[in-house]
Amino acid sequence: MSMRILHLFVIVAMVLAAAYVYDIKFESTMQAERLAKLRGEIRRERDAIAALRAEWAKLVSPGRIEDLAQRHLPLKPLDAVQIDNLATLPERKSPPPPEQESDPIAALIGDADIGTTGSTNERSRP
Amino acid sequence: MERLLYGQNVDRETKSRARVGLVIVAFACIYTVISGRLVYLAATSDGSQSRRGGGDIIATARPDILDRNGEVLATDVRTPSLFGEPRRIIDVDEAVELLTATIPDLNATEIRERLSSKKGFVWLKREITTEQRQQIHKLGIPGIGFRAENKRVYPNGASVSHLIGHVNIDNQGIAGIEKWLDRSGLADLHSLGFATDRQQKPVELAVDLRVQHAMRSELLAARQKFKAKAAAGLVTDVNTGEIVAMVSVPDYDPNDPREALDKDRINRLTTGVYEMGSTFKALTLAMALDSGKYTLGSSLDARHPLQYGKFKINDFHAQRRMLSLPEVFTYSSNIGTARMALGLGVEHHKAFLKKMGQLDRLRTEIPESAEPLVPKRWAELNTVTIAFGHGLSVAPLQAVMGISALMNGGKLIPPTFLKRSEEEAAKLARQVVKPETSDRMRYLMRLNAEKGSATRAEVKGFYVGGKTGTSEKVINGRYSKSKLLTSFTAVLPADKPRYLVLIMLDEPQPIAETKGYATSGWNAAPTAGKVIARIAPLLGIEPRFDLPPADQQILAATASTRTRTR
Repeated sequence: MSMRILHLFVIVAMVLAAAYVYDIKFESTMQAERLAKLRGEIRRERDAIAALRAEWAKLVSPGRIEDLAQRHLPLKPLDAVQIDNLATLPERKSPPPPEQESDPIAALIGDADIGTTGSTNERSRP
Repeated sequence: MERLLYGQNVDRETKSRARVGLVIVAFACIYTVISGRLVYLAATSDGSQSRRGGGDIIATARPDILDRNGEVLATDVRTPSLFGEPRRIIDVDEAVELLTATIPDLNATEIRERLSSKKGFVWLKREITTEQRQQIHKLGIPGIGFRAENKRVYPNGASVSHLIGHVNIDNQGIAGIEKWLDRSGLADLHSLGFATDRQQKPVELAVDLRVQHAMRSELLAARQKFKAKAAAGLVTDVNTGEIVAMVSVPDYDPNDPREALDKDRINRLTTGVYEMGSTFKALTLAMALDSGKYTLGSSLDARHPLQYGKFKINDFHAQRRMLSLPEVFTYSSNIGTARMALGLGVEHHKAFLKKMGQLDRLRTEIPESAEPLVPKRWAELNTVTIAFGHGLSVAPLQAVMGISALMNGGKLIPPTFLKRSEEEAAKLARQVVKPETSDRMRYLMRLNAEKGSATRAEVKGFYVGGKTGTSEKVINGRYSKSKLLTSFTAVLPADKPRYLVLIMLDEPQPIAETKGYATSGWNAAPTAGKVIARIAPLLGIEPRFDLPPADQQILAATASTRTRTR
C-alpha cells in the first residue's frame, strides 16, 4: 500500500515538475524575445543619436558659425584690450536705481513670460 | 549490499525495496547535481555569453574621435547599402530597369554586368539614402537586398583633414589618426568579428577644434594675400608636447578623400622636409650659450663676409661691425651664427643637433612622417650653413619640437596628437639644455619681437617672442632668389611659455603692402600675429599690459629665482 502511495506521489510530482519546467521555458523564451527586441530598439536609438550628434556637430562647426555670425551679427573678433579681470573693475558708486516698470527690456521679457508661463501680475498692465 | 540486491536467499520484497531505494538515491544524486549546476549558472552568468550583435552589421564600427573639449571630429553613421545575389535573380533586365529608375546615378551597363555574373554576392551601390532604400524595398525585386553599414562622417570637413586622415569605403583608416586607430588594435578586433557595435570608447585628441579653425582661416587668408603656393601652421603646448592645431593648406575634405592623392595637398608639417632658414639659428645660439663658451655678452665679428672656399657667407641685414650675441639674433646675422658654430666645432654641432632630435626621423601617431635630409659628409662648410638653417632639411614638426625644448626649460618632449598631462610629459621628457639656457633663449625671442625682425608679429597683451626664418628653395640644384620658404616661430607668453606657434608660407610673393619684400618678417610674422590674436583668448591666456621689456621681465626675474632656489 505504502509503495502505491509513493508511486502515485512520484507520478504527480513528475507531472507537476514537467508543467513547471514547460512554464519556465515558455517564460524564458518570451523574455529572450523581448530582450532581443529591446536590444534592436536600443541599437536603432543609438544609431539615431549618432546621426543627430553628427548633424549637430556639423551645424555648430566653427566654420559655419563664423560664416553665419559674419552675415547676420554685428560682432567683431575679440581684442586683447577687451579682456579684463574682476580685480581691476572699479567699485560701484551708488546703489542701483530701483526697478522701473518702464524698463523696455523688462517689459519685453514680461511679455514673453505671458506667452509661456502666463504670469498674472504683468497681464494687468496696459 | 551486494547480497541484499542479488542474493538468492533474500526475501523478494526486501530485495525489490532495496533496489527501488538504490534507484531513488541515484536519481536524487543526479537531480542534486543538475539543480546545483542551475544555481551556479544563475548566480555567475552575467548574460554576456548570450550577447550577439545583429547579423546585419558588417562594416567596422570605429570609435568616435573627439577634440580636447569633446567636440565630435569623426563619428559613425549607419547607412544602408544595396547588394544583389545574382543566382537568385529571375529577370536581370527588369531588375536593372527598376533599380536605375529609382537611383538615377547607377550605371546601367555595369549593374547588368554584375547581376549577370555567377557570383553569390555583389555590391550594387554603397551608401544609399533611407528613402531610396524604402522605394527599392517596395519594388520587391527578388535577389536584391540591403545591408546596414557604418559610414564615417567628418562634421567639420576640411578643418581637421590632415590631422585625422580618412577611411576607405570599407571604413578602414588609410591616413592620419584613423590609420593609427587601425594599427593600434582596431583592425585585429575587427578581423576577429568584434568591433561591430558602437560601444567603443571615444578617442580624445589634443587638438582644439576652435584653434584649428582659427588657424586654418588665417592661413587661407594669408595664402591668398601673399599668393603663396601653400601655407602651414602648427600650435603646440611646449610643456606637454600636445599638438593643439595642425593645418596645411591646400587640404582636402576627408568626407570626399579623392583630392588627398594630389601632390600639392600633402601635409607639409610632417610629410615634407625643408631647410628651415634662420629659425635654426635659435638652435645654434642655444648650443653656443649652453656650451658655456659664449654668453649674452659675447661679441662676434660680422665686419666682413665669411669666405669659405669658393663660398661667401653674407648677411641679409648686413651691419658690417662687431655684433653682440643678442644682436646676432635680432639682426639674424648669418656670419655671426656661422662663427659661433665654427667656434664649437663640427662634432659638437652634430652631437647637439642629434640630441635635439633633428637628425632622426620623428615618428608620431600619424603614419605620415619623413626622414630629415642630413649631409652624408659633414664638413666644416656644412656646419657653417646648417648653423643658419641651410643644408639640413627637417620636417617642420621636428624643428618645432627642438625649439619647444629651448623654451620650456630645456626638456625635449616628443610631440603627440593625443591628450597628455604634464606628469605624463615629464616622464617622457629628456633634459637637453640647461634651464638657464632656456631662460636666455626666451629673452632673445622676446627681444626679437621688441626690436628685431619679429616686430610685426607683436600682439599687444600676450608678450609674444619669435624668430623669423627665410630660406631660398633649391630649384634644379641651385638656390633660387625668388622662390622662398618663409617661416615664423612664436612663443607665447615669452616669460612663462605655454604655446609655440609655427607659421610657414611656401613661395609667398612680394605685394604692394610689403614694399616688394617677400621675407618672413613681412608675411609669415604678421600672419602669426593675426593667428595669435585670435587663438590666445581661446587657449585661456590672460592678456597682460604694461609689462617691462624683456631684459627685466625675463632675465632679471629668472636670474633672481634661480639664485634663490640654489
